[in-house]
Amino acid sequence: MRVGLVCPYNWDVPGGVQYHVRDLAGTLRGMGHEVDVLTPAEQEESLPAGATWAGRAIPIPYNGSMASWQFGVLSAARTRRWLREGHFDVVHVHEPAPPSVALLVCMIADGPIVATFHAASVRSKWLAAWGPVVRPWLERIAGRIAVSDFARRLQVEHLGGDAVVIPNGVQVAAFAAGPRLPAAEHDGPTVGFLGRYDEPRKGLPVLLEAMRTVVRELPGARLLVAGRGDPDELRALVGPDLEPAVVLLGELAEDEKAAFLRTVDVYCAPNLMGESFGVVLVEAMAAGAPVVAADLDAFARVLADGTAGVLVRRGDATALARVLVDLLGDPDRRAELTAAGRERARDFDWATLAAQVVAVYETVVPAGGGEVTAHGADEDPLPVEPVPTRTEGFLPRWLRRS
Amino acid sequence: MLLAVGVVLVLLLAWAVFTLARLRRLEGRVDRAWEALEGALTRRAELADAVAREHAEDLGALRADALAGAVADARRPSGGDREVAENALGRLVRELPDPLRAPELDDAGWRVGLARRFYNDAVRDTRALRRRPGPRTLRLHARRPLPRFFDIDDGLDAVVGTGPVGRA
Repeated sequence: MRVGLVCPYNWDVPGGVQYHVRDLAGTLRGMGHEVDVLTPAEQEESLPAGATWAGRAIPIPYNGSMASWQFGVLSAARTRRWLREGHFDVVHVHEPAPPSVALLVCMIADGPIVATFHAASVRSKWLAAWGPVVRPWLERIAGRIAVSDFARRLQVEHLGGDAVVIPNGVQVAAFAAGPRLPAAEHDGPTVGFLGRYDEPRKGLPVLLEAMRTVVRELPGARLLVAGRGDPDELRALVGPDLEPAVVLLGELAEDEKAAFLRTVDVYCAPNLMGESFGVVLVEAMAAGAPVVAADLDAFARVLADGTAGVLVRRGDATALARVLVDLLGDPDRRAELTAAGRERARDFDWATLAAQVVAVYETVVPAGGGEVTAHGADEDPLPVEPVPTRTEGFLPRWLRRS
Repeated sequence: MLLAVGVVLVLLLAWAVFTLARLRRLEGRVDRAWEALEGALTRRAELADAVAREHAEDLGALRADALAGAVADARRPSGGDREVAENALGRLVRELPDPLRAPELDDAGWRVGLARRFYNDAVRDTRALRRRPGPRTLRLHARRPLPRFFDIDDGLDAVVGTGPVGRA
């Protein structure tokens, strides 16, 4: 089957959706399907083989995280060319609601479209207002997938329409075995944190507060922070009293991330809100790290209601400290959690999930076949739908961007 | 004044053309989704029929007959109620003892769940647009019947998510 995958976020910026698309593409290719990815990127050269550049997306802060904006004549032309030259049996867009290249594909493509919805923030006034605007184009999606129940609920509430749930996958084998990370080796007990540490919703301040107690009880304990962010801001947040116990590893490459998760004694996800799924928890479980996570609904589900990891009330530094101290001092309990986590991680292996995605493709592709085409100005003398171009005309010139 | 009326008329016309295109597209989507759903249901019925024929003695005459009867009923529903017939077949298939419930049968059941959700999704979108004040006032597609939802219990919580999709 020829599949066109569309990623709306800059490919060379790390992010959950990008990894999802990359891994899905890789797994599908491994199953013998032909895959091409259309994605924006800051640097065109950063794209691997099998990916087509769609220009640059402009990141905009949204809902405590980053969304991206890309909507213009040039992007539309690139999208149209990609659709015409790809001869896809199905195109699979990701996060199509925001004004991005994914929405452009929904506007331009003519044929079976599958969409995956990732976001899961429940109170989104923006989406409530925006939903009806993009409805005419989202309506063309033949099969909708949500990565979690929460993403599905958001989709049902604001965009109208149901979705089947196929969770995010992880390349379990790549995390399960491999070297440890030398930079994260330490004689005392270690707690790992991974993520954009200057984003408040990731909850690092709660973990730092808890670490004050942990270090008092277990003087050799270290918190290892990996991820992107402003180091000075982190230093100010840590404060002089805690500074010796916090190690900033900075941004890690993918293989380093797996090595990091294999090295830490406990992986902690103190997030406060807004997590759709929590791939990193599955990765930690696959790597054999015992997981301590905030009791967000999504995390509770990934951890099988606390049987595959420990859930702590979100924002509760005292409870988190108690759990961490107990766990760091109890190797048997950690081994139990490691075993349970590895077992649970297998449910999220990409090989399992990609087969389900292919079943979705097969359901929406008409029995006789017929490839996806593009409709639009340059070949149709009489466009049936004048509106895509008209919408672009609504944008002020300064907003148009390749 | 005349200009204003003209502008309003042109906008109205553009909107009507756009909405008609949406309705036409949705109609196609409902048709294709229904074909997919029928295909999935047919495949499930075929597999169930094969089990009823090939494993009659393992099942016992009573259950084999019930299954064969349900398959026949699903193919040609008496009283024309396809949903009831498919429900009965689905229940019997799910109640099959483990060694007889081949992986293909589980897979077929799961695909029925997918196809049914995509079909109902298309129906929901169509009904939502048809019932909006605009299309109703202009009577766009008003003579065509509203597509109907296809509601069966496919026993698949998994498709609407309890963590990973276990093929029930």
